Amino acid sequence: MIVPVLPDVHRTVDAAWKLESAKIVASLTRMVRDVGLAEELAQDALVAALEQWPVSGVPDNPGAWLTTTAKRRALDHLRRAQRLERKQEQLAHELGQRQERQQGPDARPDDEPDDVLRLVFLSCHPVLPTEARAALTLRLLGGLTAEEIARAFLVTETVITQRVAAAKRTLAEESVPFELPDGDHLAERLSSVLEVIYLIFNEGYSATSGDDLMRPGLCLEALRLGRLLAELAPREPEVHGLVALMEIQASRAAARTGPSGEPVPLHEQNRGRWDQLLIRRGFTAMLKAREVGGAPGPYMLQAAIAVCHAQARSAEDTDWAQIAALYAALTRVLPTPVVRLNRAVAVGKAHGPQAGLDLTDALLTDPVLRDYHLLPGVRGDLLAGLGRFDEARVEFRRAASLARNAAERAFLERRADELGAAAPAGPVLGQAAEEFLGRDDLDPATSRSYGQTLRRLRRTLGDQQPLASLTAEQVARVFTTTWGEAAPATWNRHRAAVRSFGAWASLDDLTAGLDRRAGTRPRARPLDPAQLDAVWSLPDLPLREETLWRLLHESGAGATAVLALDVEDLDLDDRRARTRIRTPASVRPRDGRVTWRSGTARLLPLLLAGRTRGPVFLSDRRPGPARTPEAADLCPDTGRRRLSYERAEYLFKQATRPLDPARDGYTLHRLKPAPGDR
Amino acid sequence: MRYLMTTKPSDTAPDEKLYAEMGRFIEELTAAGVLLATGGLEPGGIRVTSAGDEITVTDGPFAEAKEAVAGFALIEVRSQEEAIELARRFRRIVGDGESVVQQVFGP
Repeated sequence: MIVPVLPDVHRTVDAAWKLESAKIVASLTRMVRDVGLAEELAQDALVAALEQWPVSGVPDNPGAWLTTTAKRRALDHLRRAQRLERKQEQLAHELGQRQERQQGPDARPDDEPDDVLRLVFLSCHPVLPTEARAALTLRLLGGLTAEEIARAFLVTETVITQRVAAAKRTLAEESVPFELPDGDHLAERLSSVLEVIYLIFNEGYSATSGDDLMRPGLCLEALRLGRLLAELAPREPEVHGLVALMEIQASRAAARTGPSGEPVPLHEQNRGRWDQLLIRRGFTAMLKAREVGGAPGPYMLQAAIAVCHAQARSAEDTDWAQIAALYAALTRVLPTPVVRLNRAVAVGKAHGPQAGLDLTDALLTDPVLRDYHLLPGVRGDLLAGLGRFDEARVEFRRAASLARNAAERAFLERRADELGAAAPAGPVLGQAAEEFLGRDDLDPATSRSYGQTLRRLRRTLGDQQPLASLTAEQVARVFTTTWGEAAPATWNRHRAAVRSFGAWASLDDLTAGLDRRAGTRPRARPLDPAQLDAVWSLPDLPLREETLWRLLHESGAGATAVLALDVEDLDLDDRRARTRIRTPASVRPRDGRVTWRSGTARLLPLLLAGRTRGPVFLSDRRPGPARTPEAADLCPDTGRRRLSYERAEYLFKQATRPLDPARDGYTLHRLKPAPGDR
Repeated sequence: MRYLMTTKPSDTAPDEKLYAEMGRFIEELTAAGVLLATGGLEPGGIRVTSAGDEITVTDGPFAEAKEAVAGFALIEVRSQEEAIELARRFRRIVGDGESVVQQVFGP
């Protein structure tokens, strides 16, 4: 049975339009010298088709109909404008005559192929932001509607409409000519064009967001644009290089997603599902690129790498040494962090995971890769290859948390799961951060500020990062990549947050690798056990000093908080006291308490000598007549005032001067217990 | 999406004009990145048929040359309508005859 296909007129108009629009807009732009106007006039023809074809039927040659109608609109426009400008009149007249000569019954208007090339250079002009170039190119060269472009880039139609309108406005304001770039600018302009095409391809090939791993429509558009450009500019090796690269990458489209949409890595792909037709086309394009000659540029080198993969019959057959060498060449012409990361992968395969891992180490401080999920993904792979499964698992989890694409996220989670049950010793960063911020004794502002710091830490290091293996070096790296350029106040605020968190979580000094910014004093290191022994062995140690120092050392609390203690705050039986000053960065006990051990417990009753109220630590002297301290700082029984921080510090320095090699004496800060000694 | 267009030969013998127009058409489609592969096909060909365990190989048949496939084009387009539009253009060039347009699935 034969069923006649009744054409859906709208879809037919759309198909004819998409096949012709680049040529139509290009030749109209040459006529009216304004790409925005040209596109409007061309759109008029499209609207006319949508109005007329449902009534009159689809013409025999829909493409030619659209072209002729659009050119007629352009001529009408020029004739109207001729009243104002004689020069344009002349131009329109000439064009009209040329047009009439071409109007045979079946005449396809003679298009200048260079017009389309001019249009490519125009819509990819460097005066436009990259996103605008991509949108405008799809619009003018691909004939896509704003809605289609919006769907491809997962933004709203309004965004695209505005982006395209702004781009056209910019081109008009900057008076960008409808011309081929001259020799001096050709390389730069061409690389802008190639960049846009490859961006469109990549947006389709490795959809950066959304649920689908691929948006094949965009890949097709990019491929078509690339093939078109290769015909228009056949003397440019990089154009053929880009085409080769895209053809070969596209050949793997079917093999690189699994049945449930998950990504299948290259070495696990079923090579029988690679599209040999596209591979052959890629090889052919590569040959053309080589024929043209010249030093291989970034696209040719990437294509050469793709060729290596395509030539391997199995993953094991892959010539990784050759690929690593090509990447080495590529990093010289295109030293981007992502290329360097790919090189690490190749080197890992060619010369072992440790060699690859070493290359990724240098990338950890690169701000560009800070939130790039493939860096931890690659590291996870290399670490797993070295049998360092716990570290690999952390990296995979972190990669999953950074991945914006759902299918990729699921894949990375699975990689982590495959490494066996998580066996991190003790708590992990994500949960600890939640608990730290969830305390009731943090005021909202502090909580918000600390939250900001910890979010960044979690994002970069991963929620599953075991606290036990969190190092000051890792923290320092996060700080350098994130706030390395920030104002000192910002840096110090985040540093204070990490210090507070580290203190709360009883971690080693997490900020050891971070200096306070803007000329403030470097953090003093805690006294080591030998130095402490020397302190406790000082001759004729006054009872008050010894008690204070022991308490500072055993509690790890800040001197200000300890000096602020009153007798009423002490719980001698339970060896703890409530602190009154809240200095989050220095008060270790999470609930605002100071606790101590036997050394202090032995001395405290002796020091108090039956006192029941007033400051615990009193100065030796009564205040002079000129100074009247607050009542809270005076002992109601003896009239003596509270020992001041300055005085306590002075006394400690004096006492320890003989012990300090620098002969300055130690500061009270250094009595804090050393990391791990609590 | 990909479509395979196969074309049976027509009664009219190809002339210079047809060759020239067809050449331009193929160039244009190649340049536009639409035409992936194209070629002519010998009429008849070799037929391999299987029935049960038996596989038979035969030449031809050549008798009805009109039904023999004479050419193919593998195109990559955005929609069925684009494929039809291209087939229409092709038919306008070659004159009377018939082409079949089939969507290709896979690989």
